[in-house]
Amino acid sequence: MAPTASTSKKKPGKKLANVDGELCGVCQACATVCPVNAIEVTESFVMVLPEKCTGCGVCVSVCPVGAITLIER
Amino acid sequence: MPKQSQVIVVGAGPAGSSAAVGALRAGATVTIVDRKTNVGIPVQCGEAIGKTGPSVAEIEIPEIAIQAPVRGFRVYSPGMHTVDFAETDPSGFIVDRRVFDKELFARATETGADSLLGARVLDLTRSNGTVDGVVVRHDGKKKTLKADIVIGADGVNSQVARLTGLRKTYKPVDIDSCFAYEMSNCDLEVDDLMQFLLGSEVSPRGYIWIFPKQNGRANVGIGIGGTVETKTAKEYLDYFLTHHEVAKRQLSNARVIETRVGALPVNGPNKKNVVDGALLVGDAAGHVHPITGGGMGYAMVCGSIAGRVAAECVANNQVDSPALEKYETEWRKLYGTEFDQSLKLRELLLKTDDDTLDRLAKIVTGESIVKLTAGKKVKIFMKAMSTGDPKLISLMNELRKLRMV
Repeated sequence: MAPTASTSKKKPGKKLANVDGELCGVCQACATVCPVNAIEVTESFVMVLPEKCTGCGVCVSVCPVGAITLIER
Repeated sequence: MPKQSQVIVVGAGPAGSSAAVGALRAGATVTIVDRKTNVGIPVQCGEAIGKTGPSVAEIEIPEIAIQAPVRGFRVYSPGMHTVDFAETDPSGFIVDRRVFDKELFARATETGADSLLGARVLDLTRSNGTVDGVVVRHDGKKKTLKADIVIGADGVNSQVARLTGLRKTYKPVDIDSCFAYEMSNCDLEVDDLMQFLLGSEVSPRGYIWIFPKQNGRANVGIGIGGTVETKTAKEYLDYFLTHHEVAKRQLSNARVIETRVGALPVNGPNKKNVVDGALLVGDAAGHVHPITGGGMGYAMVCGSIAGRVAAECVANNQVDSPALEKYETEWRKLYGTEFDQSLKLRELLLKTDDDTLDRLAKIVTGESIVKLTAGKKVKIFMKAMSTGDPKLISLMNELRKLRMV
């Protein structure tokens, strides 16, 4: 989905959650707390949907292995 | 569109397989779908299960999954006072979840369930507002599977819970973040007790566990509050393993043979677990003990109830929320008080400092801990009062408000 004026308006910051695939164990803690459903879980990895992620960082504190950081878009 | 089966169970963990068996036994046709292609992998759990749950659910614990029988527990308070509880006979087991989950799933299929693995739920279908199927992605294609009832047994990150609106996103404060190692070469001081370590330094808003497995192996893990930002769960566990005296005594030669991560709901069951045409069980329903984090036994019992009620409702041609409510009534009758009281006790314990926990550990017995975590009243009030300890007295007054002493 291409970002439109209305979806990009919801983004409060210029940050984006980034998952380090080498550290991630796919426990889904991040997806469980994501308030905008921006994290999709497949069998072997999790995916942050950039068009949904608001960069709020709520996923960072729940990750048991510190695999998530906020990066500049 | 032809119906896939009368009941579709989403999730092939203990809750889902038990729900499937419950529904099959009551005469319904069942399909189990799971996002994963390997049921039971990766392991995301402490792997402990009591004997009671499977016995109530009338589903046998798969013998080949049993790693060690356990008779009780040893709790270490923050200041290292220990409280033991040990029954004469084993009251539960540490299992190998890979084998356990796969065996339960296999048995569900042998009882008659159809299965679809590698099928991720994208959406639910509805007819006149009643859930009547799921849309999955399978083999790279979107597929619609129709049913009379959908049972969401798809874990803490349940898509069915989200899509039915039965649960909004969890707040970090309502989940625990878990990390565990399976270790070899352990020198456990007790090989038939589960060990728990409490304290804001070792494991803030949670605990560290050491569970015995066979051949000198153990499941060593940590669950901490989702709001803890000082260190990650892994960092807390690694620090414990290298610095703590309990780890030095028992795990100094231990080697890591597997790592596990997980997330647990710890704010009790969802307010509501049924909508027209769908219901939730297991972690998806929040059927996890708010203090111990245990969930497998509840998942099996509540799963088998959910399956049976679903089959009955299908047979009666009545799958609306009031009809499915029977499931809520039945599980609440068994575990309602236990969950409700434990949730209140959890709140109180989270407010209690390490020093008070140490004082409590000195006067409390293992039996009292068992009762308290089961939501039952214990007789420790007079003993606590007679110490004259102001911190203990104020804790007892709080417990009295909860009608727990």
